Amino acid sequence: MHTLFATGRLISRALLNGIHNFSTATDPKLQQKTEPFLVSAVCGFSKERKIQRLVKGQFGDDAWFSAKCKSADVLGVADGVGGWRAYGIDPGEFSLHLMKACERLVNLGLFTPTNPSELLANSYYELLNNKKAILGSSTACVVLLNRENSTLYTANIGDSGFMVVRRGRVVRRSEEQQHYFNTPFQLSLPPPGYRADVLSDRPDSASTDNIPVEDGDVILVATDGVFDNLPQNIILNELLKCQGERCAGRLQMVANSIAWMARSLSFDETFISPFAERAFANGINTIGGKPDDITVILATVAM
Amino acid sequence: MNYLEQYVNDVWAYSSRYNNIGSYSYAPINLIGKYERYPAYGDFPETYFLRTYGKWWKQSGSSQKCYRFQDCDKLVEDFVIVGFGCAVIPTDICIYEIYNPGAIIRIWGAWTVDKKWHLLWEDHPQKCDPVSRKFCPSLRKLNCLVNLIRIEFNSSYLEYHTAIDAILLGGYQPETNLQTQLANKGLLLLQPSSNDTPNVTEKEDSLQINDKDYFSSLPNEIILKIFQYLDLKSLSRCAQINKRWNTLCQDQTLYQCISLKIYWHLVDTKAIEYFRKKNINVKKLDLSWCDQGQVYGQHILNSEYYIQLRNFLDEIKHTVTHISLNDNYFVDNNIMNVISSCHDLVELRLHNTLNWHRAPLYFSTKLVTLDLSCTHVQDLDLIKILQSTINLEHLILDLCEGIYRMDLVLRVAIEHNRKLKTWSSWKTTSFSLESIKLFGQFLDLEELDLGWCFITNDPADCLSEIARCRKLKRLVLSSWRSVSDEILLPIILSCKELVQIDLMGIKGITSEICERALYMLPKLRLLDISFCDDVRQDEVEIWRQQYPHIKIQRSCQYTSRPTLFH
Repeated sequence: MHTLFATGRLISRALLNGIHNFSTATDPKLQQKTEPFLVSAVCGFSKERKIQRLVKGQFGDDAWFSAKCKSADVLGVADGVGGWRAYGIDPGEFSLHLMKACERLVNLGLFTPTNPSELLANSYYELLNNKKAILGSSTACVVLLNRENSTLYTANIGDSGFMVVRRGRVVRRSEEQQHYFNTPFQLSLPPPGYRADVLSDRPDSASTDNIPVEDGDVILVATDGVFDNLPQNIILNELLKCQGERCAGRLQMVANSIAWMARSLSFDETFISPFAERAFANGINTIGGKPDDITVILATVAM
Repeated sequence: MNYLEQYVNDVWAYSSRYNNIGSYSYAPINLIGKYERYPAYGDFPETYFLRTYGKWWKQSGSSQKCYRFQDCDKLVEDFVIVGFGCAVIPTDICIYEIYNPGAIIRIWGAWTVDKKWHLLWEDHPQKCDPVSRKFCPSLRKLNCLVNLIRIEFNSSYLEYHTAIDAILLGGYQPETNLQTQLANKGLLLLQPSSNDTPNVTEKEDSLQINDKDYFSSLPNEIILKIFQYLDLKSLSRCAQINKRWNTLCQDQTLYQCISLKIYWHLVDTKAIEYFRKKNINVKKLDLSWCDQGQVYGQHILNSEYYIQLRNFLDEIKHTVTHISLNDNYFVDNNIMNVISSCHDLVELRLHNTLNWHRAPLYFSTKLVTLDLSCTHVQDLDLIKILQSTINLEHLILDLCEGIYRMDLVLRVAIEHNRKLKTWSSWKTTSFSLESIKLFGQFLDLEELDLGWCFITNDPADCLSEIARCRKLKRLVLSSWRSVSDEILLPIILSCKELVQIDLMGIKGITSEICERALYMLPKLRLLDISFCDDVRQDEVEIWRQQYPHIKIQRSCQYTSRPTLFH
C-alpha cells in the first residue's frame, strides 16, 4: 500500500485548517551543565480541510511524540499510510498508536538509550499486544539524544526523516527507504486476508545511524509532507535562524513557518516541488506540490 | 512532619499479570507514576490488568481446590506489592480504578527496614457502577512508617477484568532522624491509635463464664473431631488454654493438610520449624505467597528460612500428594529436586516461581495436575517431564516464554499424555499452524486455552481439526486476529459441550457466527466478543435479552476523543 498520489488536489487556500502547537521547554535548572538536552517545538497541519478531531500527537494521518527520561530525550514522527482508508481502516490510528507506544516505553524507561530501532520494534510489538486490533501501516522516524555520550541515535523506516544542521551546514540527513517510487518502507499490521498482498517491512529493517552532537545543533524531524514539498535549501534557510536557540517560543515560530511553507507549497499547482522532480525522474510527468499531512518537530541541542 | 503525597515508584511483586515479559500493555509496571487515563473508563493497555475475573476460571477442572478448608480464605485471590520513594506514616491511600472497580479487599503496609506488614484496611468486595473511581478507603490509624503497599484483590464478583491506573499514598514524612527512629519504635503518636482493647474487653464481658467445664468431660477423640474444624489461628489459641488442650492441639492428625497461604505475613523460620518438629505426615501443603524474600525485598533470600523449608519438604516427601508453592522466590533448582523425589505427588503448582532454571527430569508418575504458568521452564525440560508423567490431566503453561518449540512439546504430549483434559498455553507464541491441528488427537480434551498464541498468522483450517475434540467445554481463542466466520464454524457445529468461548479481539467475525453460537450451543454460558469490531452493539443488546442465561462480554476502549469544536 502506498500513500495514494492521486488523492484529489486541494485548492491552495490560505485558510488555516488545523494548527496545533506544542512545545516542550526543558527547564535548564533541572539539568546538569554537562548533560545535553533538547529544546523542541512541534507544528503541523492535516491535509484535510475539515477537522474531524483534534488529538494531541496527531495531524491527520501523521503522529508524533516527544518524551524524555533520565538517560535520553526522544522525538519521533510517523506517517500513517492513507491507502487503508479504502478498506475502511483509519490510517491515523496505526501511526498514533505506534507513537503513543514509543512515548510510553520511553516514559517507563523500557528502552535502550542507544537503540531507537529496538524502541520502534518494541512499540510495534506493543500494538500486537493490544486487545484492540489496530490495523494499518506507517512509516516512522525516531531520534534519540543519549545524554551520557552526547550522541544522537536515529532509526528510520520509510520516507519520513530527520536532518541535523551545524554551523550553517547539513551534517546528516536520513536516507529515504523506498520499495519503489512513492512507496516507502513501512511497518504494517494488515487486515486478515490481505497479508500476502501487503508490503510489510520488519521493524528491524529500520536504517539506523548515530552522530555526535554539539551545543547549538539544530535537529529537524519531519514527515514526507515536509521533505516532498520543501527543497532542502529553503529548509536550511529556516533552520539557520534557530541555531543555538534555547527559547522554546522562538523555536516554535521557526517550526510554524516551516510547516506553513510546506503547507502552502503543497497546494501550489505550479511549484516544482522535490516530489515533482522525483516523479519526473521516475517518468511521471507531474508538477506542483504534494498535498499531504505535515508534521515538523524542531529541536536544538543545549549543553 | 511534612505531609507528602506520592505515586508508585516501583512494583515489587504481583501474583497475576496479563502481559508478556517486556511488554508494557496491561502490565503491573503501569502502576508506576501518575495516572494516565483516569477519569476515563475503559479497557486501556496503559493500566494494570489482572488475568482473571469472575468465577469462570474457578469452574475449570484445573483450578486449585482448597487444601485445608478451615484455612481457606475464599476472599483473597491476587495481590500486588508496590514501593514508594519515601517512607511515611500513612493517612490516605487513593487507588485509581478505571475499569470494573470494586475488587480491592485489603490493603497492607510495610516498611522495608522493619519488614513487618500491617493491615491498613479490609472489606468485602463491592459491587460498583461501571464508572472509573478514585477509591480512598479510610485507613486504620497506624503510627509506623510505610513505604510498601500490598493490595489484595478478589475479582470473583466482577463482570469483567478490573484495571488500576495508579496508586497514591499520602502521609507524614519524618523530617529528622530522631522522628524516624521514634516512628520506627512506634513511639511517635501522630494520630490517636485505634485501640482494639475496648472491643476485646467488651467481648470478654459478654462471655458468660460458666463454672463447670463441660468440654473437659469429653473424650479426646471427640475433642479432636471438633478441633478438625478449627483454623490454624484458633488452634494455636486453644493450645494456650491448658495442658490437655495443648497436647490435643498438637495432634498429628490435625496437620495432614496445611495451607499457610492466608498466613503469608506470619510464616517465618519458627513457624516452619514448628511444623518440622511435629514430624507429621503432611499430605497436602500450600505455601503459596509465604515468601520471606518478598518481604525482605530485592529478592534476597533469608537463608535460614530457606533451609528450614527445604528440609521440611525433604522430610515430607514420602507422604505428600499436593504441593502448591505459587509466587515464591525460594523455589530454586534444589527445591525442585526435592519435589521431584516426592513419589506420590498428584498435584504440583508452581505458578510465578522464577528462581529455578533447570527442572528435574521427572516428576511422580501419579501427577495429575501440573501448573507451570509464568515460569522459565524450557522446552527440553518440559518434554522430559511430560514423558514421565503419563497420568497428567491438567497442564497449565500460561505465559511460559522460555518455550520456543511448543510444536515439539505438543507432539510429546500427544504420545505420552493421552489423558490430558486441560491444555492451557495462554500467551505463548511458539506454535506452528501444523501443530495446532494435533490438538484434534486429544479426544478427551475439555479445556483448551490458546489465547494470544496466533496474533498474526492465518489459522486456515486448523480449527476444523480442533473441532474433533467433542468434549470441549472451554475454548479460548483471544486475539486470533485472522479467524473468520468460516474458520470458526466447525467448532460451533460439532463441540456441543462448550460452556465458555473467548473470541476477544477477533476483528473478522461477524454477528452471524455469534448468533449461531448462541443458538446452537445449549450449554454456552460465557461468550467473550470484546473488541470484535464487526459485531454491532445494538445486536449484542438484543442477544442479551434473548439469552439472559449467557454472559456476553463486550469490552472496549471507550474513545471519547476530546473535540475542540463542538
